[in-house]
Amino acid sequence: MIQGRYFDGRSSAPVEATLEIGADGMVRVHGLPEPVAAPLLDLEISDRIGNIARRISFADGAVFETHDNDAVDAALDAARDVVGLRHGSGLVHWLESRWHVALASVAGVVVISAAFLIWGVPAIANWAAGVMPASMDQAIGSGTLDVLDRVAFEPSNLPKARQRELETLFTRMTAPLDDGHDYELEVRDGGSLGANAFALPSGIVVMTDQLVALSKSDDELRAVLAHEIGHVRGRHALRHLLQAAGITAIATALLGDVSSISGILSAAPALLDAKNSRDFETEADNFARQWLQENHVAESSFDAILCRLSHAEGSEAGKKDFDFFSTHPATGKRASCKAPADAAVAEPAEAPAGAEPSESPAPEESADPAELTDPGEPTQQQLPAEPEPVPIS
Amino acid sequence: MNESIALGGAPGISTSETRTASRVNLPFEFRGNGGEYFRIWIVNLLLTIVTLGIYSAWAKVRRLRYFYGNTYLDGHSFEFHGRPLAILKGRLIVFGAYLVFVFASQLNPLIVFVMIPLAIFGVPWIILKSRLFQTRMSSYRNIRFNFHGTYGGALSAFVGWYLLVVITIGILYPAWVKKRVEYSLDNAAYGTQKWSFLTTTGRFYTFCLITFGLSAAAYFGFIFLFMGLFSGLKNAGTYGAGAELAMLAAMGPGLWLSVLVAAAVALAIGGYYQASFLNASFGGVQIGGNYLRSNLQIAPLVWIYVTNLLGIVFTLGLFYPWAKVRQTRYQLENMAVDSDGNLSSFMADASPKTSALGEEAGDFFDVDFGL
Repeated sequence: MIQGRYFDGRSSAPVEATLEIGADGMVRVHGLPEPVAAPLLDLEISDRIGNIARRISFADGAVFETHDNDAVDAALDAARDVVGLRHGSGLVHWLESRWHVALASVAGVVVISAAFLIWGVPAIANWAAGVMPASMDQAIGSGTLDVLDRVAFEPSNLPKARQRELETLFTRMTAPLDDGHDYELEVRDGGSLGANAFALPSGIVVMTDQLVALSKSDDELRAVLAHEIGHVRGRHALRHLLQAAGITAIATALLGDVSSISGILSAAPALLDAKNSRDFETEADNFARQWLQENHVAESSFDAILCRLSHAEGSEAGKKDFDFFSTHPATGKRASCKAPADAAVAEPAEAPAGAEPSESPAPEESADPAELTDPGEPTQQQLPAEPEPVPIS
Repeated sequence: MNESIALGGAPGISTSETRTASRVNLPFEFRGNGGEYFRIWIVNLLLTIVTLGIYSAWAKVRRLRYFYGNTYLDGHSFEFHGRPLAILKGRLIVFGAYLVFVFASQLNPLIVFVMIPLAIFGVPWIILKSRLFQTRMSSYRNIRFNFHGTYGGALSAFVGWYLLVVITIGILYPAWVKKRVEYSLDNAAYGTQKWSFLTTTGRFYTFCLITFGLSAAAYFGFIFLFMGLFSGLKNAGTYGAGAELAMLAAMGPGLWLSVLVAAAVALAIGGYYQASFLNASFGGVQIGGNYLRSNLQIAPLVWIYVTNLLGIVFTLGLFYPWAKVRQTRYQLENMAVDSDGNLSSFMADASPKTSALGEEAGDFFDVDFGL
């Protein structure tokens, strides 16, 4: 006999009553003006949660409510043998009522979510990107160059012949790739973006006059272009997009139940995003180095241009130590910079305006001659640490 | 079972015999506790992760059932009836729509502009659906709550009034706050008994204006305070480097102290607004012969907010269940029903079922409806 209260489902008036689950599988409620009986299998018995009242609902909307959870469980156990009742929800309550299960759950939550975010999401994104056609790459960021041309870039100031030369150089690099991307080089005056190069997912690689000026040989430019081709070939934009969506989805699933602290924890996806971005940079670096080796170009040219770029970005010493927050790996990890400030860069540009462009390693004319004489100090603001408009450069 | 009536009765009335003739004060009571909810929370969180989020619908039902089931009024608890499968379906639809939106906006950023009218006309719909779900899935004494609001009402209260606020450069803001609360509460019903929202617009204006005045006073007060500190520093500079250093040293703690005071003042003003808002909102509800009373105080509310936030931050989130229980307990135990003593005569309303989609949409996009 289970003590409780009966509500007929029509009014809010309670009736003190007792409930009995018979060995025959019939449930009877006693103490009512008219007796109520129904087969156990026709009733809905709410799951046990903490110590809240248990509800035994009848088909007509009536409810028998009791705080005697143990008696209900015992009666259900007894009746299980008779009617073969399946009642699995008790398991969750069993888990919820034990402290050692709770502590193990804390460990489980931490380990699983960390492992999944670090390894699972990139793997899934990689797989999903492989399934998607190359036309997806064309679509992503198709308007980006137009926007940049309007907002940040000016037409290149390099002589037409030099531009064509660079385009030929690029075409020779990309012609044998045949991976479904339409590779194309665009040269621009980078304006406030300064010395920079980045790849659009469709295969367009943009390189700024300032970067051309910063380089000391076409091999160095090949190294940078190989890095950008590595981004396109690795489909990093698409994978990045998929990973970001995955991280957001998981964070929402995890914290959907905890919305009030999601604000505090929302920094975590951002950190992960930065980590994934660094992984892509490393992947593109590896591609560049491999390409240089295969094409018998000295790998040192990649180190040289990276070191000079990092020097040009300004020696934000503190930042280099905290690559956990950065979208790019610390330059020290990407390239071995022997001489911290490349003295050779300080050489003034030899080529005045109108000079015939050649294969000479000397930088060509630039919109801002100051950069050529000393890319270190005066251009710090023009070379922000994270200038890329798409998270890919 | 009716001990709360005797405890909370008005002066001179202490027996249930006089209930029909006299008014009784029935306080809300919360019987959950942090340790118990912690175990429920963490186990369900783990299950949610292991099932890649699918279990979250079941976790949500268990969480709401725990909080509803531990909320007592006059010896009876509330109950949440949401079905996990309905919630899961809602979540999947919303998640799918979200993915489509994310990809579409990546393919063409201009799609965001197409989404704006969709959001303007979609949000009131989501609010309506969410209210329908929340009320119809809740019961007390086996009588379900209900909601009679319309789409037009939501559009007017949440969008139309917002436009009026913009046009009047904020003068109508307190009225807008009231309209939103009114939409949620005045359209609610307990069984067949419709609720009425009685709080006057003037009360919303009063606490909004006091909040505004206090904020402005605090803002200018601190500007003068900092200006004073800095001019003190400047004067000290004229006496030489030694005096300047001494002044800096003296100002160090002063600066920290004023930052702390500023934070405390901001929290106190925030607490005042929150307490006034909740009191004005819930305290204005009439259900037949029963009136809700809400008597939250600023200091305890601010204390709970601050300690909860610190606890959650310093335990990396593990304190969350205790925080949630503390806040719920304080809010509920400062609410009561001023009753005609006849809570047994409400009748059920035979209403249609509702889908969980609206509520999930609101949940997913973290839309705060202000109540």
